[in-house]
Amino acid sequence: MKHTTSRIYTIAYLTPGVGLLALFIVIPIILTVWVSFHSWNMTSPFAQMKPVGLANYHDILSDRGFLRALGNTFLYTLASVIIILPLSVILGVFLFNTRAKGKGIVRTVLFLPYVIPNVAVAIIWGYLYSPLYGPINDVLSWFHIPSQPWLGSIHEALWALIILNVWQTTGYYTVIVMAGLTEIPDDYYEAAAIDGASKCQSFWRITLPLLKRSLSFIVVILTINTLQIFDPVYILTQGGPVNATDVVVYDMYRTAFNFLDMGHASAMVVILFVAVLILTAIELRILQARD
Amino acid sequence: MYQNSRKPEVYRWWAYFPMVIIALLSIFPFYWMLISSFKTSTEITTLPPMWWPHVFDARPYSTVFHVLSFGRAILNSIIVTVLTTLGILITSIMAGYVFAKHQFKGKNTIFIGVLATMMVPSFVTLVPLYYMFNKVGLTDTYAALIIPNVANAFGIFLMRQFISNIPDELLEAAKIDGASEWTILWRIISPLLTPAVATLGMFAFVFQWNQFLWPLTVIHQSSMDTVVLALNSLESYTSSVQFTNVIMAGTVIGILPSVILFIWLQRYFVRGITMTGIKG
Repeated sequence: MKHTTSRIYTIAYLTPGVGLLALFIVIPIILTVWVSFHSWNMTSPFAQMKPVGLANYHDILSDRGFLRALGNTFLYTLASVIIILPLSVILGVFLFNTRAKGKGIVRTVLFLPYVIPNVAVAIIWGYLYSPLYGPINDVLSWFHIPSQPWLGSIHEALWALIILNVWQTTGYYTVIVMAGLTEIPDDYYEAAAIDGASKCQSFWRITLPLLKRSLSFIVVILTINTLQIFDPVYILTQGGPVNATDVVVYDMYRTAFNFLDMGHASAMVVILFVAVLILTAIELRILQARD
Repeated sequence: MYQNSRKPEVYRWWAYFPMVIIALLSIFPFYWMLISSFKTSTEITTLPPMWWPHVFDARPYSTVFHVLSFGRAILNSIIVTVLTTLGILITSIMAGYVFAKHQFKGKNTIFIGVLATMMVPSFVTLVPLYYMFNKVGLTDTYAALIIPNVANAFGIFLMRQFISNIPDELLEAAKIDGASEWTILWRIISPLLTPAVATLGMFAFVFQWNQFLWPLTVIHQSSMDTVVLALNSLESYTSSVQFTNVIMAGTVIGILPSVILFIWLQRYFVRGITMTGIKG
C-alpha cells in the first residue's frame, strides 16, 4: 500500500518536468529529422507530406548560399573560441589572484553583458559601430585612423559580430574559470614555490592542467552557444552585406518562415545539429586525451 | 603573492591598471546607451558624436511609450516571465526531488536523457514547435510563450543536486510522523531550498525575459509583443538617426529588470555557474 502511493507520487512529480521535455524537445527533434526527408510547406497536413528522400540535403549542400552560411558560422565559432578561451583564462587567473580592491565590482561589470538580452546588445553595438555617429570611429579618428564601415563592409561585418560576442560572453566564461580556480588547493602552489618554480611554471604545470574540467566545459558550451548565432544577424545585418554574415540559423529561419520551405529548413537544422554533436565529441576527445 | 608584501606600491599600480581597462571596456557600451537615451534629437545627430549631453532630456523616455505600445509589451513580458519562472521552479523541484530521493527502475537512464536535452539548441525544435502551436491555435498567446519553456533540464539538475544534500534521516523522520509525500516535498524540503530557488529563479527569469527566436516565430500581433520583440520593432521602425535616442531609451528600460535582478542576486548566479561548470 505504502509502496503504491510512493509510486504514484514518483510518476506525478516526474511527469510535468520530464513529460514536457519529451513533448517539446525530444518529439520535435524526431519530427525535424522526419520533415528533412520531405517536401512540406506547413499548410498541408503533416501526414500528407511528400517524401523526397535525400533531395533536401542534396539541394542545400550544393547551394552556394547555404555553404557560405555554414562557412561563416564555423568561422564565427572558431574565432570566438580562439579569442574567448585564452581571454577568459587570463582574466580569470588575474581576477582570482589579484589583491587589489574592487575586484568584485570588476567581476560584476564584466559579467553584466551576459544577462542582458541579445537583442539589446545588438541594438547598442549597432549604434557603437555606426560609421558616422558611432563612438568607435570617433576614437579611431583621434589616432588618425580612417573611419571603418564595420557592419557595412563585407570584410569587417563578421568580425564586428565576433567582437560583439566576445564583449557579451567573456565575463560568463571568466566566472567559470574563477570557479575552477577555487578548486585548486593552495598547497600545490606553495610546494611548487618551495621547489623554486617560477609563477610562469606554476601556471603551465599546475593551473592549466587542473583547470582542464572547467576548460572542457567552456569549450563545449562556447561551441554550442556560438554555432547557433541568430539574434545579432537578424537585428543588425540580415545576413548582409552580400551574404558576408549569413549564418545557418538565419538561413534556416528565412527558409522556414519567409519561404515556408520546411523540408530544406529542417535539413539545415539537422546538418547544424549533427555538426554541433560531432564538434562536441571531437573537443571532448581531444581535451580528455591530454591526460 | 610573495612580491606584493615586499613591494606593495608597485604591485598596486600594476594591479589597478588592467582592472580599470577591463571595467571600462565592459561598461562603455552601457555608458553610451545611457547618455544617448538622454540626448535631444539635435544632439544625437551632432558630428563628431557628443560624449556628454549638454542638457539631459528625458523626452525620449516618454516618446518610446507613444511610438509603440511599450507599456503593453512590458506587461506582457512581466506576465510571461513571472509565470514561466514559477512553472520552471515547480516542475524542477518536483522532478529534482524524485531524481534525488526516489528509487525506481530506469531512473538513471531518464536522468541522463534529461541532461541530454540541455545540449539541444533551441533552433533544432523551432519548426515542429511552431507547427504544434499553430495547429492547436495557440499562436499569439501567452500560453505559446510560456508552455514550451516550463520544463527545464538545468533546473531539474540544479534541484536534484541541492535536494541530494538534504539528509535522508530528515525525510525518514517525517515519514514516521505520518507526513505524506506532498507534505514532505512542499513543507519539509522546499523551505530548505531558498538558495536553489534564488539561483534557478534568477536564471529562469533572465532566460525568459531575454528570449527572442521563439517569441519572434510564434508572436505576430504587436499587442502580444514582449519587450524584446518591441525593441526589435523599435530598431526596424526607422533608420533615421534622430530616432536613436528613443531606441536607446527603450533599450535602457528593456535591460533594466535583468540588470537589477543580477546585481541584487549575483552571488546566487555565480553559485549556479559554479555548480554547472565544475560538477556538470
